[in-house]
Amino acid sequence: MGFNKYVEVGKISLSNSLVYLMDFLAKSLFIGLIIFIFINLWKVVYGDSTSLIDGFTINMMVWYLVMTESIVTSQGKLLEEIGEEIRSGNIAQSLNKPYNFIVFKYASGFGNTFLRFIMTFTIGAIITLIFVGGINVQLVHLPLILLTVLFALTINFLMMALLGIFAFWLEDARALHFIYQKFVFVLGGMLLPLELFPQWLGDFSRVLPFSYVAYHPAKLWVMFNWSDFVNVIMNQLFWIVIFIITIALVYRICIEKISINGG
Amino acid sequence: MVDVIKVNNLTKEFKAKQKEAGLRGSLKSVFKPQYKSLKAVNEVSFNLKKGEMVGFIGPNGAGKSTAIKMMTGILFPTEGKISVLNYNPQKERKKLAFKIGSVFGQKPQLWYHLPAIDTFNLFSKIYELDEKTYQKRLNRLVELFDVKSFINQPVRKLSLGQRMRCELIASLLHQPKVLFLDEPTIGLDIVVKKKMRELIRKLNKEEGITVILTSHDMEDVESLCKRLIIINHGKIVYDGPTKKIRAEHLTRKRIVVVLEEKVDNLGIKNVKQLYRGAYKHAIEVDTAKYPVREVIKKILSKHKVNDITILDPPIEEIIEQIFKKEV
Repeated sequence: MGFNKYVEVGKISLSNSLVYLMDFLAKSLFIGLIIFIFINLWKVVYGDSTSLIDGFTINMMVWYLVMTESIVTSQGKLLEEIGEEIRSGNIAQSLNKPYNFIVFKYASGFGNTFLRFIMTFTIGAIITLIFVGGINVQLVHLPLILLTVLFALTINFLMMALLGIFAFWLEDARALHFIYQKFVFVLGGMLLPLELFPQWLGDFSRVLPFSYVAYHPAKLWVMFNWSDFVNVIMNQLFWIVIFIITIALVYRICIEKISINGG
Repeated sequence: MVDVIKVNNLTKEFKAKQKEAGLRGSLKSVFKPQYKSLKAVNEVSFNLKKGEMVGFIGPNGAGKSTAIKMMTGILFPTEGKISVLNYNPQKERKKLAFKIGSVFGQKPQLWYHLPAIDTFNLFSKIYELDEKTYQKRLNRLVELFDVKSFINQPVRKLSLGQRMRCELIASLLHQPKVLFLDEPTIGLDIVVKKKMRELIRKLNKEEGITVILTSHDMEDVESLCKRLIIINHGKIVYDGPTKKIRAEHLTRKRIVVVLEEKVDNLGIKNVKQLYRGAYKHAIEVDTAKYPVREVIKKILSKHKVNDITILDPPIEEIIEQIFKKEV
C-alpha cells in the first residue's frame, strides 16, 4: 500500500503531461536538429567513412550522441520545479501529506522522463538511420543497456534533486541548474566520448558521477562488453546509494531549518 | 471533552536578512550580511477541544500561518510544545498527516489539467484508503458538495467556486479529525461564500471535525466560529467567544438619520461626524461617555426625523482598535 501511492502519482502525472505532448515533441525535434548538425560535423571530421577515431566509427559516434542526448535532455526542469516550489511556498502543500517528498517527486517525474527519452531517442534514431546508417547491436544486450539507462536517469534525478534542495538556502536554483548541465555536457561525456579527451581529463571524468549519466551507458550502447556492463552497473548502484544517503541527510537538516515563503 | 490541540509557549524566531535600500545596500548585504531576528510567533498558548471551530484573525504577517505550519509539522518551533491529536507534529509529521486535512485558498492541490476525480483517486492512494471506504466517502462528499456534474471536467475549466468545493473534498476524503482552512473563501462571490460556510458548518456538526480557520473575511469567522483568537505581532491579543468581542470592545454605536428638511448640521456635541449629506446624516457615539438614548432624544427633539437606524461598527474596525491599542 505504501508503494502504491508512488505508482499512482507516476500514472497521474504522465496523463497530466500528455496535455503537453506537442511541447514534448517540439523539444525532441529540436534535439533531432542538433543531432543532424552533429552528423554533418562528424562527416567532415571523419572524411572517409571507414576511418576510426579513438576506436569509434562514424556510426558509433553518432549513435553514441543520440543516446547521451536522449538521456540527458529527458529529465525536464526538475531542478527549477523544486526551486520554484520552495520559492513560492507551495512546498507546504506537499509537506503535510503522508508521503516522502523526494520519492514522490521521483515517481511523478519518472513517467514523463521516460516518455521523453523514448521520443527523443526515436527521432534521433530515425535521423541517424537516414543520414548515417545503422549500428550493430545484439538484441539480447538491449534489456541490459536499458537497465543502465534507467539507472542513469535515476542518478541524473538524484543529483538534480540534491541541488534542488539547496534552493532552500539559495532561493534560486537556476544558476545551479545551468552549471550542472554544463558539467554533464562536458565531463559527463554528453557531447564527446571521454576517449577524445586528454588522458588525464578522461580518466578523471570517468570516475565522476556525471559520466554514469551519459558516457557509460552510451558507450555500452555502441560497444557492449560484459565486464564493462558489470562495472557500470556496480558503479551506478554505488552512486545511487551515495546520493540517496546524502539527500536524506541534507533533507533532514534543511527541513528543520526552512522557513516557508509566503503567507 | 478532549483537547485535540495543545499549544504551549510556542515561539518561532526567524532570521531575516537586512538590506539597505538600493544597489549599494544590496552589495553591502552580499559581503557583510546583517541579520535581524524576528519573533513571528511569540509565546503563544491555547488549547482546542474536539469539534471546536476557531477563527484565527490577524493582520498580514501577524504569525497566523506560521502558527498553523507549526501545528501541521512543516515548520519547527524555536521553543515551546505542540501536541495535535496526541502527536508531536515535528517528530510524527507523516503519521499526523493521515489525520489532518488542509485547504490553502491560494495554493491549489488539484491537478490543473486533469478532472478533479483523478486527484481524488490519487489522494485515496496517498492516504492509503481501501477502495470500499473511499467510494462510500466520495459518494457522500460528492452529494453533499453537489459537484457531480463537473468532477469529470478538467480543473482548469471549472469556476473558482466549483474548484474550491473540489479542493475541500480533496482534503476531506480521508476523514481528517482536524481541518486547517487558510483563506478558503478568498476570491469567491457572496453566494458561493455562503454555500462554503454552510458546508463547513455541516461537516463540523455531523463529523465533529475540529476546524481552524484563518480568513480576512470577518463574516466567515463570525458566522462559523464561536471562538476567536486574534494574533498580532506574534502574540495572542484576544482569545474568547466571538460574540464577546463586540460586547467588550464595542463602546461605539453608529446612528444614521434621514431628516425631513435640509439641515447643515445635526447640532449634537461630542459625537464624531461620519457622513453629512443634505438629508442624511451619520454619527458615531462613544456610549461610555454619552448614552445612545440621550443622543437620540436630542436628535428627535431638534429635528423632524423620517428614518433612524442604530448600527454597530463593523467587526473589522473593532479589531483594528484592538490592534491599535496594542501598539
